[in-house]
Amino acid sequence: MAQTEKFVLNMGPQHPSTHGVLQVQVELDGENIVGATPVMGYLHRGIEKLMESRTYVQCVPYTDRLDYVSAMNNNLGFCMAVEKLANIEVPRRAEYIRVICAELNRIASHHVFIGSLTNDLGSATGMIYAFRDREKILDLFNIICGARMTAHYIRIGGVAADAQEEFLRDTQKFIDYVPAMLDEYDRIFTGNEIFQARMQNTSIITKEDALKYSMSGPNIRASGIDYDIRKIDKYGAYGDFDFEIPLGKQGDNWDRYIVRLKEIQQSANIIQQALDNLPEGPYMAKVPKVLKPPKGDAYHRVENTRGELGFYIVSDGSTKPYRVHIRRPSIVNLQALDTMCRGMLLADAVTAFATIDPLMGEVDC
Amino acid sequence: MWGKGLVAGLKVTWGHWFGKKETVYYPEEKLPMTERFRGGHLVLDDKKCIACKLCAMGCPNAALDLTVSVDEEKKRHMDSYKHQIGRCMYCDLCIEACPVKALSWDKNYEFASYFKEDMTYDAVVEAKNRRGNDE
Repeated sequence: MAQTEKFVLNMGPQHPSTHGVLQVQVELDGENIVGATPVMGYLHRGIEKLMESRTYVQCVPYTDRLDYVSAMNNNLGFCMAVEKLANIEVPRRAEYIRVICAELNRIASHHVFIGSLTNDLGSATGMIYAFRDREKILDLFNIICGARMTAHYIRIGGVAADAQEEFLRDTQKFIDYVPAMLDEYDRIFTGNEIFQARMQNTSIITKEDALKYSMSGPNIRASGIDYDIRKIDKYGAYGDFDFEIPLGKQGDNWDRYIVRLKEIQQSANIIQQALDNLPEGPYMAKVPKVLKPPKGDAYHRVENTRGELGFYIVSDGSTKPYRVHIRRPSIVNLQALDTMCRGMLLADAVTAFATIDPLMGEVDC
Repeated sequence: MWGKGLVAGLKVTWGHWFGKKETVYYPEEKLPMTERFRGGHLVLDDKKCIACKLCAMGCPNAALDLTVSVDEEKKRHMDSYKHQIGRCMYCDLCIEACPVKALSWDKNYEFASYFKEDMTYDAVVEAKNRRGNDE
């Protein structure tokens, strides 16, 4: 009589759908998954340690390399933490420009999500559509700061340079294009029956599980929990804007996709409001050339594209941070992978990786 | 009806068949780089440079290796300005640190090389070559 036994399949670290160098040990019973263990560390660069030997200003470009598809938000988190530590007041114009850039980056990052999700589900065409639109945002970043991904634009005390007319005009053009873009996504992805069949009612994370795993960002909101740091803390200029937090119903793959799609619209609304009310004035506060924050510590969290990104900085009064710890959302969200994959088919594991949207630069840090 | 969404998606794809093209034929056609573009080699204006080494001090990755000499009149001169591209993050901190605005990017994005040695160049030599060509 034939006997079956469980076996372990290594997905990654060189698998195209693990989004970088994530290795997942998938335990299989035939075609069914009975366990999934992420193995991390392939992209570890020791950024937290590196920061201890750099001055505060020199640390900022390293944050670009954490979540490298959402660099502006990382810059923002670190700079705000240092500003909190050193009591630096940021000019209003800089706060607005920061919001515009951070939200543009959120849209660009969601483009990567949509593109890689559709690519993982077997539709390479889908990826091209999302990346075509992401390119428009990257071009905007190229105008404002001269880099497309590793922006290093948001600095301690403000932003590196003022937003030019060209940038503001092109951003407006992009925001005007967003409804047509989302309509096209709806026609090409959201309405697609195969896409729906693969996504709906798969890899469900309940509210309880989401809380248990300390998830954050669109992943927890897809489970129906209203948790957005932009609304809770109202950091920077976010208190000035009126926007909604899209929520999912049951926390399946479909909800995680829909929440992100709706977030693109909300981000566009925020950018529109920021463009309409952009104040005049300086773009940089008066920051001493040699920055020496007083002894003490500070923690600041921002709503990164993938969730709650926090920087804990300890200062010993010198020019360099004594210790930096980064609370990265991707690594925390990745804990839910096992729950998401259990009971699913092997092909669904790929969808689960894609909708949890981990970014290995941030997971390994 | 099942399949309606698939047809709607295909219509979008077919619509783009007649739409405008989104890409350029690189390398025959090249995109212009923006005014603030960070990339390529560092262009050193050796006439302006006061050899203060602030650029090297501002670099987070120690990508700049500078040699400075002092003449009889106690004037500082930049003898060599080695920039290691492999270490560079293109963060712009060197350029921003310069008090006399003697540094800029050459905005060339085609600097991939076959050999590691080609990833280090001397900006002083390049500045002299450039001047030689201009004269």
